[in-house]
Amino acid sequence: METLNFLAQGFGVALTPTNLIIALVGTLIGTVVGLLPGLGPINGVALLIPVAFALGLPPESALILLAAVYLGCEYGGRISSILLNIPGEASTLMTTLDGYPLARKGLAGVALSLSAWSSFIGAFIATCGMVLFAPLLAKWAIAFGPAEYFALMVFAIVCLAGMAGDKPIKTLVASLLGLFLAAIGIDANSGVYRFTFDSIHLADGIQFVVLVLGLFSVSEVLLLLEKTHHGQDAVKATGRMLFNFREAKSVFLTNLRCAVSGFVMGVLPGAGATLASALAYMTEKRMAGEKGEFGKGDLRGLAAPETAIGASCCGAMIPMLTLGVPGSGTTAVMIGALTLYNITPGPLLFQNEPTLVWGLIASLFIANVMLLILNVPMIKVFTKILAVPNWALVPIIAIITSIGVYAVHATTFDLILMVIIGILGYILRKLDFPLSPLLLGFILGGLMEQNLRRALSISNGSMDILWSSGISQVVWLLAIVMLILPMIRIWRRRSLRRKAHMANV
Amino acid sequence: MLFQRLFLGVWLIAGLVMMYLALDYQAPFSYEPVGPRAYPMLMLGLMSAGLAYLLIKPTPIDHAHDEKPMDAPTARKVVSCILLLLAYALLFEPFGFVPSSIVAGFLFARLYGGRWLPSLVTSIVMSICLYILFDRILDVPLPLGILDGLEI
Repeated sequence: METLNFLAQGFGVALTPTNLIIALVGTLIGTVVGLLPGLGPINGVALLIPVAFALGLPPESALILLAAVYLGCEYGGRISSILLNIPGEASTLMTTLDGYPLARKGLAGVALSLSAWSSFIGAFIATCGMVLFAPLLAKWAIAFGPAEYFALMVFAIVCLAGMAGDKPIKTLVASLLGLFLAAIGIDANSGVYRFTFDSIHLADGIQFVVLVLGLFSVSEVLLLLEKTHHGQDAVKATGRMLFNFREAKSVFLTNLRCAVSGFVMGVLPGAGATLASALAYMTEKRMAGEKGEFGKGDLRGLAAPETAIGASCCGAMIPMLTLGVPGSGTTAVMIGALTLYNITPGPLLFQNEPTLVWGLIASLFIANVMLLILNVPMIKVFTKILAVPNWALVPIIAIITSIGVYAVHATTFDLILMVIIGILGYILRKLDFPLSPLLLGFILGGLMEQNLRRALSISNGSMDILWSSGISQVVWLLAIVMLILPMIRIWRRRSLRRKAHMANV
Repeated sequence: MLFQRLFLGVWLIAGLVMMYLALDYQAPFSYEPVGPRAYPMLMLGLMSAGLAYLLIKPTPIDHAHDEKPMDAPTARKVVSCILLLLAYALLFEPFGFVPSSIVAGFLFARLYGGRWLPSLVTSIVMSICLYILFDRILDVPLPLGILDGLEI
């Protein structure tokens, strides 16, 4: 009952005219950013932080804006997947597999609206799950001391590597680089300048907007150079725009299953939308067996990843709000935004800032409805935007990114640093290092160090405190399981390969 | 594979240099058992260990399905794009937002295959519109630079 009261209060916040307009603008911007090739939710959210600041938005409105952009990006990402066969971002790769064949069959309108509907169901179920579980988790997380937090962050980092599939070491090294970069700047506890090379610009560390935009926007600009041949024609969305009841019914069970699995994947740190959509697609394909037309334009193959993406986006907000530990790259950026507002996400957020938390949750419901409604009439406009050629798109990305960075501190140094980080990000991407672990490490780094030092101060230097409580023992155990998991996977793959090799000989 | 090893090697050396620098980080007087040195040392140490492992056993690079191997024209383009980005970053403040964006926007458009006239028109219109949008409407202050005397 208490929860319902809070939720009503949240709707009170989210339904004020300003916040409604903000959510609408956010969803529109998000959809456009998501559908442009090369820009994803991470860039979109990071670019809007300085704007939210400059407009003097209160924290809850700023968070509503960022969350709306996040959801909008995930919505927009699928438009280019379905019409162009080019995923707007990594997570919508699975959508191309069945979405594009459907569009080729002349069912583009149906595919778009049905995927919007699936995404809506996923997000809706996940937001309901959030309403149910987030307060419980927050209540439970109050028992967390610094030692437990430290263990939890180690778990989050290890989880990243464990979920990364075939390149756990690269993921681990990337996240460690992020963790290290967080240490640059003046040390708050002792006043020692670390790795600043006597530059005053580095004294308060690397600004995270600089890091995010360098890693994700500048490197993307460089990557787009290889794809100047882009001008592919989009499939025209003609004919029936809306799916019918029979089609919705045929994928309804898929929706439900994938919403639940996507939600769970979203809550787990490090898994995120990409993995959730891949898992959902594979599971549905296996369940359909021989009867399915997966890969040739099966409606279920379209609905499964979209539902999972919608669900995992909302699920990823749970660890962010309750524990202060981000579940994905985008939520890491949102945590960074909150810290700029001097709000530390964590279990106390639910007690200290109920309007912020519940306003955000309520606005997730509203933004989802908006996106669903916007989708049908706006699709013509969105397809027009898809036709923007790269030579016009890249200058816009480069200039807006520079504005975003300049808005933080108004120094040339930050701009140069952004370009250097961008070059580094480009090389890392070329060498197949994942970048969102780096970002997550950067956000977690400061917290991790503070909690480690605080814990050891409590125990006066004895390491035992790190694993003395029941909670931390469980978390450490989970972390060890996550460490062993990829090793088993690699070992199994190796023995399989050896067997195949033997059979060939 | 050679480039990967080279990059990993440089990265590893940078990590070790950072570790050497971190040796000096000690609080003049401290109230807590863990000083400012331990955490960066731990992270750098683990990172270097991971890098050393990758140096010995580099993982093969998994190319995206639409990625072409790097050839000389693309490499030249990447280098000029980097130089352009750096020049834009350097000129952003002294030159002013609108003039530097017009020049950079035009060169970017050319680099990505735009034709002369459309590139020029787009970059002029875009720079002025973005200036009005951010500086005037959204209150994000942008430098006027050489246009400072124009009183706009």
